[in-house]
Amino acid sequence: MFTKQVFACAAAALLSTGAIGTAVASDWKPTQPIEYIAPANPGGGWDTLIRTTARVLQEEGIAQQNFAPINIPGGGGAVAWAQIAAKKGNPHTMFAASPPIILVPLSGASRFNHKDFTPVARLITDYSILLVRADSPHQSAAELFEAIKANPALSVGGGSAPGSMDHISVAGAAAAAGVEPARLNYIAFSGGGEAMTNLLGGHVAAVITGAGEASAQLQGGQLRALAVSAPERMAALPEVPTYVEQGIDFTFDIWRGIMGPPDMPEAAVRYYEDMYQRMMQTEGWAKARDQLGWIDAYQSSAEFGEFLDGQLEQFSGVLGDLGLIRR
Amino acid sequence: MEAFESLLYGFSVALQPANIMYVFLGVFAGTIIGMLPGLGPISALALMIPITFSMNPASGLILMSGVYYGAIFGGSTSSILLNAPGVAGTVATSFDGFPLAKQGKAGKALALAAWASFIGGTISVIGLMLVAPALASVAVSFGPAEYFSLMLLGLTAVVSLSERSLVKGLISAVFGIMVAIVGIDRQTGTQRYTFDSLHFLQGIDFLVVALGVFALAEVFVMLLQGRDAKGHAKQVLGSLKLSRQEVKEIAGPVGRSSIQGFFVGVLPGAGATIASFLAYITEKRIAKDGNTFGKGNIKGVAAPEAANNAACGGSFVPLLTLGVPGSGSTAVLLGALLVMGVTPGPMMLEQRPDVFWGVIASMYLGNIFLLVLNLPLIPYIARILEVPRPMLLALIIVFCMIGVYGLKFTAFDLYLLLAFGLIGLLMRLNGFPLAPMILALILGDLMEENMRRALQISGGDWMTFIEKPISATLIAIALVSLIVPPLLRGIRAARTRLREAG
Amino acid sequence: MKALNANRVLGVLIAALSLVYLYAAYQIPTFPIPRPIDSDAFPKVLGLVMLGLSVWLFFERPEARGDEAALSLGEQARRWLPVVVTASAIAIYAASLQTLGFVLASFLLVAGLTWFYGYRRHLVNAAVALAVPLFLYLMMTRLMTIHLPRGLLPF
Repeated sequence: MFTKQVFACAAAALLSTGAIGTAVASDWKPTQPIEYIAPANPGGGWDTLIRTTARVLQEEGIAQQNFAPINIPGGGGAVAWAQIAAKKGNPHTMFAASPPIILVPLSGASRFNHKDFTPVARLITDYSILLVRADSPHQSAAELFEAIKANPALSVGGGSAPGSMDHISVAGAAAAAGVEPARLNYIAFSGGGEAMTNLLGGHVAAVITGAGEASAQLQGGQLRALAVSAPERMAALPEVPTYVEQGIDFTFDIWRGIMGPPDMPEAAVRYYEDMYQRMMQTEGWAKARDQLGWIDAYQSSAEFGEFLDGQLEQFSGVLGDLGLIRR
Repeated sequence: MEAFESLLYGFSVALQPANIMYVFLGVFAGTIIGMLPGLGPISALALMIPITFSMNPASGLILMSGVYYGAIFGGSTSSILLNAPGVAGTVATSFDGFPLAKQGKAGKALALAAWASFIGGTISVIGLMLVAPALASVAVSFGPAEYFSLMLLGLTAVVSLSERSLVKGLISAVFGIMVAIVGIDRQTGTQRYTFDSLHFLQGIDFLVVALGVFALAEVFVMLLQGRDAKGHAKQVLGSLKLSRQEVKEIAGPVGRSSIQGFFVGVLPGAGATIASFLAYITEKRIAKDGNTFGKGNIKGVAAPEAANNAACGGSFVPLLTLGVPGSGSTAVLLGALLVMGVTPGPMMLEQRPDVFWGVIASMYLGNIFLLVLNLPLIPYIARILEVPRPMLLALIIVFCMIGVYGLKFTAFDLYLLLAFGLIGLLMRLNGFPLAPMILALILGDLMEENMRRALQISGGDWMTFIEKPISATLIAIALVSLIVPPLLRGIRAARTRLREAG
Repeated sequence: MKALNANRVLGVLIAALSLVYLYAAYQIPTFPIPRPIDSDAFPKVLGLVMLGLSVWLFFERPEARGDEAALSLGEQARRWLPVVVTASAIAIYAASLQTLGFVLASFLLVAGLTWFYGYRRHLVNAAVALAVPLFLYLMMTRLMTIHLPRGLLPF
C-alpha cells in the first residue's frame, strides 16, 4: 500500500506535468521541476508551508510542473539564503519566507536580506500570543507589563534566540506598554514547544508563541491567553483580547510568503503570483488552511515587496531599542 | 480498569485490517531505513506527510510512528556489524556490539539487540498506556535547572568511561564539549568558532563525529594493522541463541534500562540518544564486571538497545498529551498530525481517543512484527561480514559517506567526516578513550545551554540549582557517584594492606 | 624518565592548541544586553581546563607501548601508506561528488579502494561497486525523492 501510494503520487505528478494548464495570465511557463526550498529542517513553519502548498498545487492541478520540496537547514535560514542568492535569475527556484528573512540579517547572521531576493507572493499570516498559566495572578497584558516594571526579574520565554521573531514580538509590546525593552527578561528556548512545557511547569512567568500553535493548549484549560498581536480579535480565538484593546498600541504579523532568487524574470513572477492566487481559491487550500489554523493574507509581488520594506523599518526600530543591530 | 477498556478500544482501532497493514508497512519500512546508512527516520517521515494527508489520522499516525520506532529498532544492525551507527540513538550500542561481532558473536549481539529492543519497546507501550496522562506533569517538571543537573549527572560518567588514564579521558571530554559548542549560540545568537563559514552555523552534526571517530577510524586502524587482522572469516555469525545464564544476566539491565529509557524519553529535552547513553553508563557503573564494558559485554548491548526503544515510546507522551515534540522526528510527526487535522494536546484524549489509543495499541503489534521480522533476517544480514575484507572496508567507507552526505547534502560534511576519522585514529593510537568525547558531545551543549537559561531566569543566582528539589537530588546523585567509587576502592585497598600487614 | 616521552609531546601539543582556542574565545563578541553568563564564558573555561589538563598529561608517566617505535622509517611509511591513500581518496570523492555524480563517484571509490586493498577478482569487484551505489541511488531518488547529485550520468 505504501509503495502503491508513492507510485500514485509519482503518477499524479507525471500526469499534472503533462496536463494542459488552464488559461494563464502570462505567456511564461516553468519548463522544469521547481526546487521548492524550506530553509529549515522538516517539521517547522516553513516546511509545513512548502509541503502543504506543493501538495495543494499538485492535487488541484494548478501546477504544470512538479514542486519538489527540499529542506536546507542551517543558521536560521542563512545557509539556504546563501545558496539561493547564487542562483541569480533562476525561475525554477523558490523558497518559503517569514519575518526571520528580515531579522536574521539585521542581527548580523546573514549577508543576504530580503532586498537580495524577489518577492513572489505573501500567502498567510498568524499572530503572536502572550500566555500565562491559568493560576497566574496576571489577568491582562497590561497587568503583566506593570508587574514586570515593578519586578524586572519576571521571565518571558520564547522559542528562538534573542533578537529573533518571538523576542521582537514581546519586546515590541513591552515597549509600547512602557517597559524598557532591553530590561525585559527574555528566556530563549530551542523551540516553541520547549517554551510551552516550561510555562506549564512554572519555570517561566509567561510565554510568547504563535497563536496557531497555542490553540490546543488553550483548549486544555491549563493556560490563559493575555493578548494577541492582531489588529482585531481573531476568529479562531474570539475570547482573547488584542493589545490595542488593552491600550497597548502594538500589532505584529507572523506572515509567511514565497520568494525567489535575485532578479527572477518578471514573467516568471507574474506566472507564480497568479498561480498562488488561484491556488488560494481552491477547496483543497481552504481545508488545509483551516486545519493548520492559518489566515489568508495574500499579497501580490509588488505589494509584498512594499510590505517587506515596512517590516524592515518596524523591526529595525525594535532591534535598535534593544541594542541588537549588528550589521 | 479504565486503562484496560481504553486499550481494548485501541485494539479495536489497531486491529482493523487496513491498520494492521499500516503497522506492518510502517515498521518494515522503518527497520530497513534504520539499517541502511544515510537514511534517518526524519527524512523518511517528512516524505510521508503528503502520503498520510488523505488518510484517516489514526491510520496515518500508526504508519508514521511505525517508521519511527522501526528505524530505532533496525538502527542497531550497522552499529553492531560495521561500527557505523545509522541512527544517532544506536551509537552507544556499538561500544559493545562491535567488539562482540569482532569476537565472532555477531549473531548473538544482533539477537540480543532485537530482544532488548522488543522488551524496551513493549515496556514503554505499557508505560504509555498506564501512565501517559499522568506523566505529562513529569515532562513539565523539568525546567532548565533540572536539565542542567541531569546533564551534569550524565557527564560524571566520563570518569568511569576513562579506562586507563583519567587525564586522557578528561581531555577527550573537554574536546567533545568544544566540538559541541561550535555554531550559533542559541542564548544570544552569537557565532562561536564558525570561522565566518556558513557550514558551521548550525554546528557540527553528532552523526558526522560518531561515524568519523568510530567507523572511519576503525577502518584506518584495520588498515594500519595490515594483513594479519584478516583472521575472522568463517564463524563470523556465531550462534543466535542466548544461554540461560546470559538471559539471567541481561534481565536486570534490560528491565532497568527500559524503565529508565522510558522516563528519559518522556522528557522533551532528552530523547533516545541520551537515554541509551545514560542506560549504558548506569549499567557499566553498577555491574560487577563493569570493566569489561566496551570489550564485548552483552549487557553493554542490551542496556542501550532497551533504553533507546523505550525512550522512543516515551517520547509519545509529550507529543500526544502536551502537543510538544521532544525531537526532530517527533516534530515531523506533530507536523503530520496538524496537517491531518488533529491537534495533539491536553484535549486529545477526549477529542481523538481513536488516534491516541489506536496508536498505542498498534505499538504492541508493531513491536511483535519487528521481532518476527528481524530475528529470522539476522543470518542473512550478518552475511555482510562474509564479504571479502578489502571490499567490506571500501563499502563501509562509502556507507559512512552516504550517511553523512544525507544529513545536510553538503560535500563539506564529508571533509569533516574525514577530519574526525583522522582525529579518531590519532586518539586511539595515543590511548585517548572515545566514549567520553561522544558523551560530552551529546550532553555538553545541553548542559551549557540549560545552565545559562536557568541563571538567566534566576537573575544570576546559582542557588537555583540547589533550591529546586529535583535538581538538588540529581546533583547529589552526581556527587555521590563521583565520590563513592574511589572511596570504596580506597577502603578496599586499605583493608587488603591491613590484612597483608597482618 | 626520558625527557621526550609520548605524553610530553602530546602535552605540549595540546597546550599549544588550547592557547589558540583561548585566543579565539577572547574574540567572541559580548552580547549587547547583559547576561549572567555570556557566550564567551564557557569557551574560556574550556580552554583553561584544557590547558590545565595538558600540564597534567605532561607530567603523567606514559603507559608502556608496544615495539612499534622500533620500526624503521621505511617500515612506518609502508604501514601508513593505506591510510594516506584512503584519506586522499575520501577527499577526492568529496571534491568530485558534484561533478561526477553520486553513482559514478561511489563506483570509483569502492572499486578503486577494493582493488588497492588487494582484492583481485575484478569482475566481482566492478559488479558490486556498481550495484550497491546504484541500488541506494535509485532507492533514494526514485522511491523517496531525496535529491542526490546526478553528475555525468543521464539519470
